Amino acid sequence: MRVALELRDFAKYPFLKESQQFMGRNTDIIEEFLCSSPGKIALRHAMDRVRAALRSPGQQDDMRDIPSDNLGVKISVSGYVLARIIVSCTKDRSLIERLARYEAQRAFRFLIDEEEDKRVFIAGSIGINSAGADLPVIQYVEIVAGLHEERWRLVNRDVWNGRVRVSPVEMNELLREQVRVILLRQLPLSVPETVCGLLLPQTGEIQGLFQQTMLEQFGAVEEDSFPPCMQSLMAALTGGTNIPHAGRFALTAFLHNIGMAASDIIALYCRAPDFDISKTQYQVEHISGRSGTEYTAPSCAAMRTYGICINSDALCEKINHPLNYYRTRKKKEKKQESGGSTGTSQS
Amino acid sequence: MNPATLEFVKQRFSDYYRTGTLAAPPSTGQREWAFVFFDPDYPEIRMRRHTGFAGNDDLLEYVRNMAPAHLFYSVAYYSMPHAPTMPEKGWLGADLVFDLDADHIVRGPYDMMLSRVKEETAKIIAMLTGELGFAEREIGLVFSGGRGYHVHIREIAVRGWGSAERRELIDYVCGIGIDPGIVLSMPSPSPRGWHQRYIAALTEYLLVLEGMDQKDAVADLLTLGGVGKVTAEEFLKRATGLRAALATGPSSVNLKDATTGRVIRALADQKEGKFATLLREKAALADEPVTTDIKRLIRMPTSLHGGSGFRVTPLTLRELDDFDPLTDAVVFGTRDVRVESRAALSMPLLGSSYQVSKGESVVPEALAVFLCCRGLAGIAGRA
Repeated sequence: MRVALELRDFAKYPFLKESQQFMGRNTDIIEEFLCSSPGKIALRHAMDRVRAALRSPGQQDDMRDIPSDNLGVKISVSGYVLARIIVSCTKDRSLIERLARYEAQRAFRFLIDEEEDKRVFIAGSIGINSAGADLPVIQYVEIVAGLHEERWRLVNRDVWNGRVRVSPVEMNELLREQVRVILLRQLPLSVPETVCGLLLPQTGEIQGLFQQTMLEQFGAVEEDSFPPCMQSLMAALTGGTNIPHAGRFALTAFLHNIGMAASDIIALYCRAPDFDISKTQYQVEHISGRSGTEYTAPSCAAMRTYGICINSDALCEKINHPLNYYRTRKKKEKKQESGGSTGTSQS
Repeated sequence: MNPATLEFVKQRFSDYYRTGTLAAPPSTGQREWAFVFFDPDYPEIRMRRHTGFAGNDDLLEYVRNMAPAHLFYSVAYYSMPHAPTMPEKGWLGADLVFDLDADHIVRGPYDMMLSRVKEETAKIIAMLTGELGFAEREIGLVFSGGRGYHVHIREIAVRGWGSAERRELIDYVCGIGIDPGIVLSMPSPSPRGWHQRYIAALTEYLLVLEGMDQKDAVADLLTLGGVGKVTAEEFLKRATGLRAALATGPSSVNLKDATTGRVIRALADQKEGKFATLLREKAALADEPVTTDIKRLIRMPTSLHGGSGFRVTPLTLRELDDFDPLTDAVVFGTRDVRVESRAALSMPLLGSSYQVSKGESVVPEALAVFLCCRGLAGIAGRA
């Protein structure tokens, strides 16, 4: 079935092959484009996009009016391209991930209001046959591998004859995830140094802003807000008990993710009975990304597989990742501090 | 292993490798190969890794000459499999493998462990083909030569998978991470897969509770995290009704209810205990780290397992039912060999049952190889 895409669809779904083809007819040399006046407008759009990507998902912007004129669409799609170039220049994996997530969410919000045949067309262009009520197991697994909620786990699904049943609402969510994964796979783009040089003011601003966002979200390390699994691992460690390798990995990655310095993490391990300074240093630095891969603490599902999901409490049931637990607890405490200093007890 | 025993086993292995039918896995040239040889200090294991071969002929010639005690290759495909470090190898993908090892399932006499792990293997095959949709021709089934079976899936679509994707499948076959709330409310044309297995396990557990003395049943529930006496007693009163609800409409079970919800969720978190056991019986207990390791080394089918002398035997799915490792994986003969056994033991092999007394006795060659490989006996004197 042929679906006619309109100009505004290119602005809504800039990652489509068709959108890029549309741009292809308009492309100039990027250095020249950046100095032109449409280029400057596009750059402002790009910065808006990256800033929006840094805000947490709940406070992302309302969708602006989608342009439907040739120039407007060109500027919008250029903004998408430039935003990708800017985060690629920062070489910061977390920033890149934020942008991919933002772009996927943005497309998702258009997609849910789209007519059925157009949605099926767009799904098809990212490799998903969304017309049915199920997906092949292999494709389903590839899409949900990055999703942490329990409801996506294969074991919690209706699986039969190589197909996984998916409701229409879930199908849209899976499309969003597929867009995110595809965009993430494309990044970072290899951008020539000269172009990154021209974008230095923009990358500088974004990196500063990102650091500020991270500080607001995580701030100082507060052991009281650790999830029970990490508290148990910490207690075992400081109590001088040996913890298994999976536990060490999980704890180290967690402490690194919440911003603890490698030297402080190593100091903690001094208390383990089999402490070996050079080995510990190597392991901690490896997990903290010196080798090039930065590790993220295991999800609750993985913690369970390793058998180190310990003492889970009520909050654990609402979250799917130890880091979310920590973030949620810290946010709650912050609220209580700022809101509840009247000092009356509740009962 | 004393020199005479080592020499005996080494010669038997050489004999097999000279004349036996060997089959290299696909893409020999992209695999890392690893060997353990009958060195003088064998069975102390010194593995020689990071070996590469241009193709099947090179590999098989090497193997026939060297007659290794153990022979492994990587489930991974590499651009430079012989490179000395993992990053330099250039990972290109990996077969999807499942390892069913009786060691992780049951302890007991060898033949009992073997028959138990065979059941587990039949379960995983049923899940892989019936539920997960792998075609029979994509599934390579192999008796490991030790205490279990390996399943190799070489389907190209899964080769690029990382550990996270592989974890979805291993958690599925093992039934790890079931969320009762989600599974019970599953809209399904008919109960099947884990929907059915979970409901069956819960129903069986309720039956067990109902059949127990009130005191014992409460005690069993009290072992659950977060369940106190009041909750336990109330839950017991509801057991029969709950079981009826599971039979007629599982989605009507209300987990928002404090008592029902708490107990059923606590049961799902249980590691040991009656319910965990009932659920585990329905799972296929494959070894989790093997499947999620994308660089795992695995035994080459048609090689010999140095810890038993048995052949790592490839099987078709249809052959599994009638396969008896203690006959079908035995490659050695029945000529007499005089061994000295460390202890009295009995062992079925090649369709007969052998009683070996402590000290010297004469046994068929195949049994001698097995006992020597396992370290249960040595070659007597200088036979």
